[in-house]
Amino acid sequence: MSSPFAICRDQIKEMTEPVTPDEMIPPGLGREQETASGSGISIWLWRLGLIVGLLLVWEFSAGHLFNEFWSSRPSLIGERLLALFASGEIWRHLDATVSEALLGLLLGALVGTPIGITLAKYRRTAEIVDPFVMGLYGLPRVALAPMFILWFGISLLAKVMMSFSMVVFVFILNVTEGIRTVDPDMVDLMRTMRAPKSYILRKVTIPSIIPWLIASFRIGIGLSLVGAVVGELIGANRGLGWYVLRAGGQLDTTGVFTGLLVLMLVAMIANQIVFLIERKVLHWRPATK
Amino acid sequence: MAARDEMTVAATAPRILLDNVSISYATPRGRLPVVDRVSLAVDRAEFVVLVGPSGCGKSTVLRAIAGLNAAESGIISVDGKTVIGPPEHIGFMFQRDTLLPWLTVRGNIEVGLELAGVTSTERAARVADLLALLRLSEFHDAYPAQLSGGMRHRVSLGRMLAYQPAVMLMDEPFGALDFQTKATMGRELLRIWETERRSILFVTHDIEEAVALADRVLVFSPRPARIIAEHRIDLPRPRNLRTLRASPEFAAYTSAIWQALGDGDPS
Repeated sequence: MSSPFAICRDQIKEMTEPVTPDEMIPPGLGREQETASGSGISIWLWRLGLIVGLLLVWEFSAGHLFNEFWSSRPSLIGERLLALFASGEIWRHLDATVSEALLGLLLGALVGTPIGITLAKYRRTAEIVDPFVMGLYGLPRVALAPMFILWFGISLLAKVMMSFSMVVFVFILNVTEGIRTVDPDMVDLMRTMRAPKSYILRKVTIPSIIPWLIASFRIGIGLSLVGAVVGELIGANRGLGWYVLRAGGQLDTTGVFTGLLVLMLVAMIANQIVFLIERKVLHWRPATK
Repeated sequence: MAARDEMTVAATAPRILLDNVSISYATPRGRLPVVDRVSLAVDRAEFVVLVGPSGCGKSTVLRAIAGLNAAESGIISVDGKTVIGPPEHIGFMFQRDTLLPWLTVRGNIEVGLELAGVTSTERAARVADLLALLRLSEFHDAYPAQLSGGMRHRVSLGRMLAYQPAVMLMDEPFGALDFQTKATMGRELLRIWETERRSILFVTHDIEEAVALADRVLVFSPRPARIIAEHRIDLPRPRNLRTLRASPEFAAYTSAIWQALGDGDPS
């Protein structure tokens, strides 16, 4: 049941189970150190160096080592990108893909979280439906795309549903697992103080699953984009996936790479937004390198 | 009529009373008896310590008094009322500090105050008092992950005190701490208890800790737990743990309890 999430569970374990530090760390210091340290800057320099290096190799090998028809080159991609922004055409595609993915992601969270909570609370139900959930989860949902087009047409809804079908399981499985790992001693302690159920939910259960929700959003970003793009590949008249497909059909490698680049940037920005939210919401966690 | 009977019982009855209590756990291979006909009483303002081998069922007894486990037979009562769910005015401390990691020191202590029904206007002053009592004043805005093990236990103790329990049930509360911190926590606990006496039922497998703290030590057998010995510790209070540990009376008590536990028995 767990293999696809094994890594993220380990991460969460690390986040929620602080190692006992024997010496006292003055309040706040740990976190400030992390953000103020020079290592953050040097990592960014390395990243910049790496990307510039790769782009240079790409730029100067294309046309010399191999025909640039196969690979395009960074300068052409940059030009295309500027042209897309200048004409404003980019917004049409960006708007389509981002709204499909975002709506799919939010719908996945909205539907998946309560299902996850229910499955964790009613173990018997969970046991009964487990093989079906895993069956659906294992189903390559890309194969469902033609059905979605059939049901929902070449509309926004078809792509949102595609994206939703990719994401919802991540939330179901993560939230179920998150609730099962709520510390029973914490709940018992609240019970000895005769805390009402709603109080325990508010103070213990919900804060315990927030790291799992954030992890789900992180995984979900990539998957929801995959869903949106797959939906566009099957039937659409705009969107980044559609743009890539059309460019490919016209043997326009520069167009393909430009579309892919924009998709990548969208994923990176979304991931950064989740990261910022995570830092704000999970500020109680021990600072980790 | 019945109500008046209950009142008179409550006024005279011990804080905690166990009468012939047996508890067993359901396992795949049938029922496993854990506690075997245990009877005990803890009076008002009395400090009673349960010692016994690990896994003998001491924690189970404590959890049953807190209403977390049900007794299979026998009667458990707190303040004259039979325990069905968690009784009123019970404070519980686990070996792990069980602080809420997403709340600050202040937030964690406020949990105890909120659940005790202290109004929000009163809470701030009470938190400040408790932090001063536990020597944690500078750390009110720290998160548990920023504190050492000993400090986290102090916050945990603070949360329990904030709840204003009449009975404190402590399940190896300092068992996970290093020797020195454990001694400090024991001293703090005695200091607080000696100023404001409440009933304490304290579980440990550390015999020296038991003698240092207790009015009375009850020795449990290996599982299923029965009480096999009882020692009244007549050492003067307030106790200075440092000089106490060196005294011959202290040594006599600890060796007597060792003997009761079947000291040196390899099985």
